[in-house]
Amino acid sequence: MEIFLDRLFSGLTSGSIYVLIALALVVVFRSSGTINFAQGEYALFTCFVAWWLTTKGCPLVLAMLVSMVVGFALGVVTERTLIRPIRKRNEAAVLIVALGLFTALNGADGWIWGPEDKVFPHLLPNGLNDYVLIGGARLHYDSIGIFVATGLVIALLALLLNRTPLGLKMRAVATNPESAALSGVKVGNVLSVSWGVSSAIGSFAGVLLVPVLPPNQLNLSGFFPILIFSSAAALLGGLDSIVGAVVGGLVFGVAESMLNGYATFLGGSLQLTVAFAIIVVVLVVKPTGLFGRRRVERV
Amino acid sequence: MTAVEPREDDEAVLDESALVEAPAPEDLPHDDIRSSGSALLEVRGLRAGYGGATVLHGIDVSVAPSEVVVVLGANGAGKTTLLRAIAGLIPHSAGEILVTGDVVKRARPEEMLRRGIGLVPQGRGTLTDLTVRDNLRVGAVTRKDRSGVSADVDRWCEVFPALAKRRDQVAGTLSGGEQQMLAIARAMMARPRLLLCDEVSLGLAPVVVQGLFRVLRELNAESDTALLLVEQNAELALAIASRVYLLEAGTVAASGATEAFRGNDAIRRAYLGY
Repeated sequence: MEIFLDRLFSGLTSGSIYVLIALALVVVFRSSGTINFAQGEYALFTCFVAWWLTTKGCPLVLAMLVSMVVGFALGVVTERTLIRPIRKRNEAAVLIVALGLFTALNGADGWIWGPEDKVFPHLLPNGLNDYVLIGGARLHYDSIGIFVATGLVIALLALLLNRTPLGLKMRAVATNPESAALSGVKVGNVLSVSWGVSSAIGSFAGVLLVPVLPPNQLNLSGFFPILIFSSAAALLGGLDSIVGAVVGGLVFGVAESMLNGYATFLGGSLQLTVAFAIIVVVLVVKPTGLFGRRRVERV
Repeated sequence: MTAVEPREDDEAVLDESALVEAPAPEDLPHDDIRSSGSALLEVRGLRAGYGGATVLHGIDVSVAPSEVVVVLGANGAGKTTLLRAIAGLIPHSAGEILVTGDVVKRARPEEMLRRGIGLVPQGRGTLTDLTVRDNLRVGAVTRKDRSGVSADVDRWCEVFPALAKRRDQVAGTLSGGEQQMLAIARAMMARPRLLLCDEVSLGLAPVVVQGLFRVLRELNAESDTALLLVEQNAELALAIASRVYLLEAGTVAASGATEAFRGNDAIRRAYLGY
């Protein structure tokens, strides 16, 4: 029982991170129908910014806020200067642009800050004794912090979408861009802001993620598997569904942890393959995902 | 994947027998009302199309304040393209669009709406994932008066009781007729001075269509909203319109007062189909 709970907590912790990145993917997909494969690298880049600020003596919380602002700006600028002009000419090329951004941002990280791993400060206490016992299993404070932070992001995003004029416009653009334009919504601006919000969520997730991600240090390759798992989670839930991203992320995190713990014959290195298998099975059986409405047809 | 613009891509197909009897162009009425100063909307020499294909080859159309004008023509004549170009959904390659005498340089939907021109698009353009209420609120995003907006939501729910019952329901679950009511109400939420309506009657039961036209007539009479209607159902449209434009292969083949059209047997047989 304790072992099961241990694995559950660990799964929910990584699941929460998948939820955050999946939400970032969903916000972009809803508005522009694109899966932003560079999402993980946006987060990594802004994590490097946060790390760099802390080495200059900036408090971590402030560095995190700055990284979110940088993430927002990065999202807006790439949508406006790269994604939108290219989409007009060739829809499929947008995917290549996202992949190009992926390598460009990763390359920029290494070029600016060097290839070696960085020790990243902890936002939350994670000493050996920083835990509460639940049913004999340890729930660490940093896990609790990540649950709370994830819940906060979900709540804020729900408020933004359902209770603000901007959210109304974002939902209108998501369901019918032409009608939104005919009603006077400046669709281009809504797209830019969506990319910005998405990227800011990614930045927030990144700072939470680094201390719990083996090897608990900031390195250039760390975010790629996270992006894959989060994409799988978003697809599982339905790429245009906020609820789907939450359910998909948690299910995926727990499934991964349980597979790791109980299906030891997989040896831990087959996780990525399992993730891909889930993507394929979901797309074959239910192309819109568990909660989604729109098929993935532009990929 | 197939392109979904069949109405405009189809070649203009007129009944062969009708074509034989069709009057020569010089016999058609051409009372072009060039009321520059007083026109709410004036379109001069408009050319527009999709990609490389030009659909409109120089169109002149004008609408006076609170006037009801109907555009008739066969499939592929360019009716929908004309409305989409006026609403700013597609760019025009030549010609001018004037609103109350001012040339609109960059016709974009939000710009045309700001100048008081709204479009009820063909196929209704329902925001299917949003509730009826949110659909109406989206229609008013250009407005700043919050209390006025919620009063207008109530007003349109009164005009269309079917919408009132489904106010908090997702719009994708509405029937075709209800979605068309919602489309008209959504466009009216911006309080346009001219409403462009593209095939309001398409695919709807006659009794529903009659109800919609009654509402269009009322909103024209009560709120002085001018109407530019594109219609397949010529009889209904002529019943509320004071002037007619007849499009043929992207040009205005004829135009004039409704009575002149009704009275001309050759035109009636050739273009109105009765």
